[in-house]
Amino acid sequence: MTRSRPFSARLARGGISAIALSLALSLALSLPLAGPAAAETFRWATTTDPQTMDPHAVNAAPVTSFLNNVYEGLVRRDAEMAIEPSLATSWAPLEGEDGWRFTLREGVTFHDGSAFTADDVLFSYERAASEESDVRSWFAPVTEVRVVDDRTIDFVTSAPNPLFPDSIANFLIMDRGWAEANDAARPARDAENFATRNTNGTGPFRLAARDPGIETRLAPFDGWWDEARHNVTEAIYTPIGNPATGLAALLSGEIDMISPIPLQDVAQVEGREGFRVLEGLETRVIMLGFGHDRETLKYGADAGAPNPFLDPRVRRAVALAIDVETIDRIIMRGKAEPASQLLPAGLSGYSEANDAPLGFDEAAARALLAEAGHPDGFSFGLMCTNDRYINDEAVCRAVASMLARVGIDAELTVMPVRNYWEELRADNFDMYLLGWSPGTFDAEHPIRFLAATPNEETRVGSWNFGGWSNTRVDELLPLVQQELDPAARQAMLDEIAAILQEEVAYVPLYVEPLIWAAKANIDLVQRPDNFFMLRWVRVN
Amino acid sequence: MRAFLSQSEALHLLARSPLVIAAALVALLAIAGAALAPLIAPSDPYDLASFSLVDGLRPPAFLEGGDTRFLLGTDDQGRDMVSAILYGARLSLVIGLGALAFAAILGIGLGLAAGWIGGRFDALVMRIADVQLALPAILTALLVDGIARGLLPSGARDEVRIPVLVAAIGLSLWVDFARTARASTLRAKNEDYVQAAIAMGVHPARILFVEILPNVLGPLVVIATVDLASAILLEATLSFLGVGLPADAPSLGTLIRIGMQFLLSGEWWILWLPTAFLVALVVAINVMGDFLREIFDPRLR
Repeated sequence: MTRSRPFSARLARGGISAIALSLALSLALSLPLAGPAAAETFRWATTTDPQTMDPHAVNAAPVTSFLNNVYEGLVRRDAEMAIEPSLATSWAPLEGEDGWRFTLREGVTFHDGSAFTADDVLFSYERAASEESDVRSWFAPVTEVRVVDDRTIDFVTSAPNPLFPDSIANFLIMDRGWAEANDAARPARDAENFATRNTNGTGPFRLAARDPGIETRLAPFDGWWDEARHNVTEAIYTPIGNPATGLAALLSGEIDMISPIPLQDVAQVEGREGFRVLEGLETRVIMLGFGHDRETLKYGADAGAPNPFLDPRVRRAVALAIDVETIDRIIMRGKAEPASQLLPAGLSGYSEANDAPLGFDEAAARALLAEAGHPDGFSFGLMCTNDRYINDEAVCRAVASMLARVGIDAELTVMPVRNYWEELRADNFDMYLLGWSPGTFDAEHPIRFLAATPNEETRVGSWNFGGWSNTRVDELLPLVQQELDPAARQAMLDEIAAILQEEVAYVPLYVEPLIWAAKANIDLVQRPDNFFMLRWVRVN
Repeated sequence: MRAFLSQSEALHLLARSPLVIAAALVALLAIAGAALAPLIAPSDPYDLASFSLVDGLRPPAFLEGGDTRFLLGTDDQGRDMVSAILYGARLSLVIGLGALAFAAILGIGLGLAAGWIGGRFDALVMRIADVQLALPAILTALLVDGIARGLLPSGARDEVRIPVLVAAIGLSLWVDFARTARASTLRAKNEDYVQAAIAMGVHPARILFVEILPNVLGPLVVIATVDLASAILLEATLSFLGVGLPADAPSLGTLIRIGMQFLLSGEWWILWLPTAFLVALVVAINVMGDFLREIFDPRLR
């Protein structure tokens, strides 16, 4: 500090250094939390808190992904997404009837010490296939489940089902004794029960503390049957809704890993020493859905008017009006991939024959709207999340702006995902944003969930909020499920893809990029389904 | 009784404070820009069809990659920043002034009535005011907003968003008005001219508004100026927290909330320009409020 400086400047500098000092002090005080003293404490964050700890209550990736650390299925996916034995050591088709026999692993215990038996699998099936379950459509093909003995269980299906073991990788097994003793024998989807905040699985981690929306602590399960590859002694999960806040938390050392990071900040993280970005494409297609099952519009200035989306020409006009390339370039920073179907290219059953997206053509969109009797457009309600998918709100605002340019006025309602599914289930939309990642990595999955006519009895179409319905698709779905010949199966999947495209049942926008960031000293596996498995984490 | 300066004294004081002149200019420019936004803004940021994502994320025109059509660049939706800021300021000012009017009418009315009627009514109003003072303004505003959200059906929320914000902010600002109005009413009630008016049978409302209120106008103008700045800030805070105005009709606070995403990414103009505008506007109004206080309060001179 020189003498010639005016006093005020010195004061200012003094003030700044005082602030710097206190900052440094507070940093120093908080450092031991992240420092080498507790090297195996692993902290991570995502944008969406798993809304329940019940593996059968909500079929959404944040829940399933998180609970795969605590509960386990009969089979599981390895780092390359291939199916491998988990609670079942082997499985084979039944003889004399359709279905699969699973041989269960010996010596597995739940976190509370009780033994894992075939009866727990039967119970979990009854629970997951019950009316109250959100995952019951996984068991649409199942007609009967039989316990043969303590270590053997049969799943009988109504027809040959070659993909059945793959389709239940996320069917997580719960302990019968524990669930029944705690009055949680059935999942509570919108309300709560004991299993909403407590767990008793067989997985590598057990729930140590749960503060919904704030923090969830996991501790390794000493009695886990598999050999632990991880070296985590405590894992702390925090939901951070604002991605910029999350990134700041990573860069300041508060957390070890975050998923996702904002696309606009990738360069920022890559440029820093001690951090790395993990990039890939998720298997999730972001799409727009329509309300197909109502006669009138519900929102916007034209609420009560006849529903224009019943006309496929209007739906096609919507698709043509949306410039996905520009959404990718500006909002997704060139990291997304335009989509033409309900699943990304490259997955099994993807229809190469229908690979081309509809494209972007404003003039054609206007012409189609005029032809459909809406030369002056109309007004409707568009529902969107703001914390579920990458830049979801910005994408919806861009979609609204693009639709406005062809004369349709989308009134945007944006909400956090915790209220979103309820609103969609209550049909409170005219059009909505949806992201879908096929849990089985096969084209049959989105068809079963999104394209089949919702049916309580056969448990299909459970995420088909708009009630899209096509008799040919409904006819083909069971045939696809049973077909053993790959070429014949693909022909049927091609036909369905063509129908969905021709009718514009949904408007597929793009494949969501997968961008995680972590400290350089963390080893982890980025699985294309965006599931984050603690069992592969090593803190070095 | 009047503590006002003469006009020449006020001008003299003004001439000695270039800061005040600068502040007045800034406030005038900002308010004029906001008021005339539909006439001078290059585009209408509320008209979704008027901008295009193709123009998204352009830097200001004077930087590399800038476009002369967008003097201060564009946001992530391709919206012109100049237009967004002017329209945003317009919305912020409308809500600020509306909340101010709400607070002033409620506060002055209650204050005059409490001072005049006295007794239990006075005690009740002043205790409510005390409770109100104990609640942070932001909490009151969040409470009102939350109740309105709970009561209104989801479809109706958008149309009443601005009135709800006005009420939410206004309710947290009325106490100063009420206290000032009550104090001067209490003082004036025993003055001869008021006693004379009572003796002449003049209607109490007329006494309150014609005889008493003018005496307290000076302090009230000061409160109003400072509270305008608070109201604008409060609106910005609420919108920043996401309980205020939606992203398709952005106020300054909403623009700052949107800009936050680009805090670390290099597109600084999306965040810093609306923030700078808000800061300039609020500081300017506060400086003017201080100046007015000096004029009206002889003890500060």
